[in-house]
Amino acid sequence: MDFVVSQILTGLSLSSILLLVALGLAIIYGVTGVINLAHGEFVMLGAYCAWLLQSQFGWSLLASLAVIFLLIAALGWLIEVAVIRHLYDRPLDTILATWGLGVMTQQIVRLTAGGELRYVQMPPSLSGSVNILGATDSAYRLFVLAVALGLFLLTWCIYRYTSFGLKLRAITQNRAIASSFGINSARAYRLTFAYGAGIAGLAGALISPLKSVSPEMGTTYVVDAFMVVVLGGVQSLVGTLASSAVLGETSGLLAYYSNDTIAKALVLIAIVIIIRFRPQGLFAPRVRA
Amino acid sequence: MTPAREQLLALRQVTVSFQGFVAVDRLDLAVAPGELRCLIGPNGAGKSTTLDLICGKSRITSGEIAFHGAPIHALKEFRIARTGIGRKFQVPSVFRELTVRENLEIGSSRDPGVWRNLFRFSGGADTERLERLAVLVGLEDHLETQAAQLSHGQTQWLEIALILAQDPALVLMDEPTAGMTAHETSMTAALFNRLRGRHTLVVVEHDMGFVRDIAETISVMHQGRLLAQGTADEISQDAKVREAYLGSGGIGHA
Amino acid sequence: MSGKISRQILLYGVVCLAILAVPLLVDNAFLLNKYARYLIFGMLAIALSLSWGYAGILNLGQAMTFGLGSYCMAMFLKLKTVPIHTGSDGLPDFMVWNNVTELPWIWVPFQSMPFALLAGMLVPALFAALLGWFMFGGRVAGVYAAIITLATMVVVNLIIIDQQSYTGGFNGITDLAQFDILGLTFDAYSASTYYLVAVCLTVTLFVALAVSRSKTGLILQAVRDQEERVRFFGYDVALYKTFIFALSAAIAGLAGMLYTIVMEFASPTFLGVPLSLSIVIWVAVGGRQSLLGAMLGAMLVTGVQGALSETEAFLETWTLVMGGLFVLIVLLMPKGLAGAVEALLRRIPRGERKGNVRPAARQGSKSQPHLGGAL
Repeated sequence: MDFVVSQILTGLSLSSILLLVALGLAIIYGVTGVINLAHGEFVMLGAYCAWLLQSQFGWSLLASLAVIFLLIAALGWLIEVAVIRHLYDRPLDTILATWGLGVMTQQIVRLTAGGELRYVQMPPSLSGSVNILGATDSAYRLFVLAVALGLFLLTWCIYRYTSFGLKLRAITQNRAIASSFGINSARAYRLTFAYGAGIAGLAGALISPLKSVSPEMGTTYVVDAFMVVVLGGVQSLVGTLASSAVLGETSGLLAYYSNDTIAKALVLIAIVIIIRFRPQGLFAPRVRA
Repeated sequence: MTPAREQLLALRQVTVSFQGFVAVDRLDLAVAPGELRCLIGPNGAGKSTTLDLICGKSRITSGEIAFHGAPIHALKEFRIARTGIGRKFQVPSVFRELTVRENLEIGSSRDPGVWRNLFRFSGGADTERLERLAVLVGLEDHLETQAAQLSHGQTQWLEIALILAQDPALVLMDEPTAGMTAHETSMTAALFNRLRGRHTLVVVEHDMGFVRDIAETISVMHQGRLLAQGTADEISQDAKVREAYLGSGGIGHA
Repeated sequence: MSGKISRQILLYGVVCLAILAVPLLVDNAFLLNKYARYLIFGMLAIALSLSWGYAGILNLGQAMTFGLGSYCMAMFLKLKTVPIHTGSDGLPDFMVWNNVTELPWIWVPFQSMPFALLAGMLVPALFAALLGWFMFGGRVAGVYAAIITLATMVVVNLIIIDQQSYTGGFNGITDLAQFDILGLTFDAYSASTYYLVAVCLTVTLFVALAVSRSKTGLILQAVRDQEERVRFFGYDVALYKTFIFALSAAIAGLAGMLYTIVMEFASPTFLGVPLSLSIVIWVAVGGRQSLLGAMLGAMLVTGVQGALSETEAFLETWTLVMGGLFVLIVLLMPKGLAGAVEALLRRIPRGERKGNVRPAARQGSKSQPHLGGAL
């Protein structure tokens, strides 16, 4: 019983990390149609911000979360203005441009902060462990789970219940017509991109105590996040939630039983098969004509 | 009705629905070889959808479409095209980055295989035919012009030329005179009248004057069904048609 | 043949002659080896230009077919060393270290040179044909196809690293024999290897040119422009795309075989994401829709990189600069340097540049349909 609960908790922890990283990617892709290959770099930058604020200014991780969100969101805003908005009609070039930006970001970090691993301290208030149904889990991981769910709910509410969300839904359905109704789609895209980036930065900051921080850390996350989005279906927030859960639990089990390399290969093969046979994702609502 | 053995194209009880919306409803249509059939009807009647179904752009939900007596509705688009069906689309769809000459070469698709076309180059046997087509549509001075640089009218003519280059037995035309001047429209009518006989045409149109100029038989569609069929005079007398589409003024006043 | 085409053939010919003439001016074996590498990158760029520039298929995994070709040659050259460089029983050394007792079935046919040479081009081509059919048969295109090509390459990379008893794993296949054929031995640092590569490059360039100028090439450009429309003319678009994808793979495979000869080893980095990205950058810089542009772009970028590669710091900054340049080019110069050159040339007014004006211009029929001539 302990084993089952502890497996579930491990899976939930992995799922929550996946959800945090994938949520930003899903939002950006769902609304603007942009596949942001630099998404992993937003995560990485968030982690580096956490390290920087902690090591240079002595900020505790919890205190810096809000600032990191705003910083990375601002960066996302800048990137949308400078690069992305010129490429909406050229999807292939968009992924190339974001790929290039990702490479640049990694290099800049490598050149300024160095390529060595950095470490971020877990907030002391959360570094204990908690007893759940006979199994113990780190308090911090449960905190991350809570934040992930909270952010998801926040995003969901914005999308479903605010007027901004309504505009986003209109634009997603048909940008041209939405514009003719006076909806400023350019600004909506910009805000969406910034929000998605900010969440990714937040994810990076939250993940940083759990793993070491390095310039390359973003790349693994972008692959996993992409898998979540492909599986869950574009334009389905619930799909993102569901597939994070499924994938988190599955990779928890896989890691227990098998070879890491083969596991990675299987994930990629699964992405390929899903794109080919069910590009709308497993959890997507009925396909539009 | 056209007797069965003379039918080039036959649609039997063709139905298609998109997520509950029935766009074409048990349509029966038959076209004889060499005929010039006009397909008219109000917006949303399912005319363009019918053309989509014939050329394979959309799949039927039930029914049958036969060409030369053989069913084609289950074939892939390119195979349908190879049986001898060509489609001119409503939205201009020439290859904008290529020149007029190159566009015509692509339209000339009698031999569509990858391997054979590897050994075909510009300036081959087809050149004269393509240049004559260019003259026909008034683009002989623009053979090396990029298609994107042509005016709207020229683009329409290039599209018509592409279909002629393809030389299909059955030509599906979707609003060919859209955006044309009166003069261009009457020239299109003249062109169509010369094409019929050797080719079979199904023309979706809104311009009633044009339809009158070219039509032998007119099929009227309404809400996905065939409402009436006959000559221009017959259908303008038809009460159902007047009610649904033309108003009481009749075909000449629409 | 029109003037434009013969001018192009002349230009390509001149560039290739210049490339072939280099050993007459450069005697340094080390430099020749370096230049041979740049030529091979040029071949890779031609391969990607065919698939991306002409057919619109962005292959983010071009390095995969390159790497497959290089491993084929490496396997052959490794088996050639068997009496010398190995442990017992005629097995390559890394297999002995991995406790393999007999030669794996997949290695056995590579003892034959004709097989290895064919495999070096056919294995990548077959792989690409299968992948192409999988994608294009399912109407997967554009961004999704690009992602699939990237994912596939990473999977192959992972498998090769994982199966180290078959493939040498992380370290690749090293300590190879020299390639010899028809009595000629190709030392990696000799002029003869340079000539071998240069000749292959020239042949590749002209084959690619012929394909791009043929009606098949034209149809592929139309597919890039409007795939849907092309189908309605009767062309089997999936077959066309698979064809060019496989041809591009065969060229990359040939380049890979040459690379093994030039580098004297094969490694999983030949199938890596950084190399694939680099190929895309070279072609973007040089001009994706120009075979010569892409080729020269590759040679230019890698040449400059080679010149700067002395210091580690330079290399890191170089990667940053290239990344930035790449983003700028994608944004502002999608047709690359070749496109910029062409745009410049078009601005220069020339006498007969106004297209083929028919000598007997008809009165007032400039843009009116004629309808008087025979159909």
